[in-house]
Amino acid sequence: MYRRVVVQNEDFDLADEYRCLRQLDAAIGAVVTFCGLVRDCQQQARIDSLTLQHYPGMTEASLNEVVATAEQRWPLHGVSVIHRVGELLPSDQIVFVGVASSHRAAAFQAADFLMDYLKTHALLWKSVEIDGQRSWVEAKDSDQRALQRWMQSSTSP
Amino acid sequence: MTGAPGISAVIKLLFFGRLGDSAVTAPEFFEASEGLTASAVRDALAIEHPLLVEALLEPQVLVSIDRVIADWNQPLTDGCELAFLPPVTGG
Repeated sequence: MYRRVVVQNEDFDLADEYRCLRQLDAAIGAVVTFCGLVRDCQQQARIDSLTLQHYPGMTEASLNEVVATAEQRWPLHGVSVIHRVGELLPSDQIVFVGVASSHRAAAFQAADFLMDYLKTHALLWKSVEIDGQRSWVEAKDSDQRALQRWMQSSTSP
Repeated sequence: MTGAPGISAVIKLLFFGRLGDSAVTAPEFFEASEGLTASAVRDALAIEHPLLVEALLEPQVLVSIDRVIADWNQPLTDGCELAFLPPVTGG
């Protein structure tokens, strides 16, 4: 089982990440990748930038815990999670999740699960700058609700 | 600690997310007796930092000790790092 969990300031290359997962093992029949981008709009306001704060060491540990949970639920060959931190601009890539499995159902579900869990469990805090004013982004109830659907079934929402 | 009566532990304090904005004047290190808990540290900050303590009392705020999520009543030891963590907003 291959696992790559990275927290970094730098951008990442989707094609490189996909290639890395694809080449792991010839038994892999499906690679699902997700890439999150910085939206230019937050609560009807146009943002100038978004900044992500992390707790070095602990943020990586929290991401590893989320990945370990997915590894226990689905038969996976590889998982990559990259989360960017620091100051980002609209349209910047912010997060990458890639999952390799023998079959697509497990890969789709695990990628979906990873994003839902990452949003509520990874130790990261977003702030946005709007018209020169910085404010912290509040946790959303919808993210908590998204999590609930994984608690009703062992492998599917 | 060096000689101060009743003080046997120095604890590093960290405040993340919006808690950091309320903690700009909070101390970076807290001197306490060994075995003090995170909730006792929070209560001790109340006199000089009432807004910060109000934010720390929100039920969603978690604490970690040496980068492991901990109970508010877990005893603190000399040299440990106590972090206050508001609800996360990554992804």
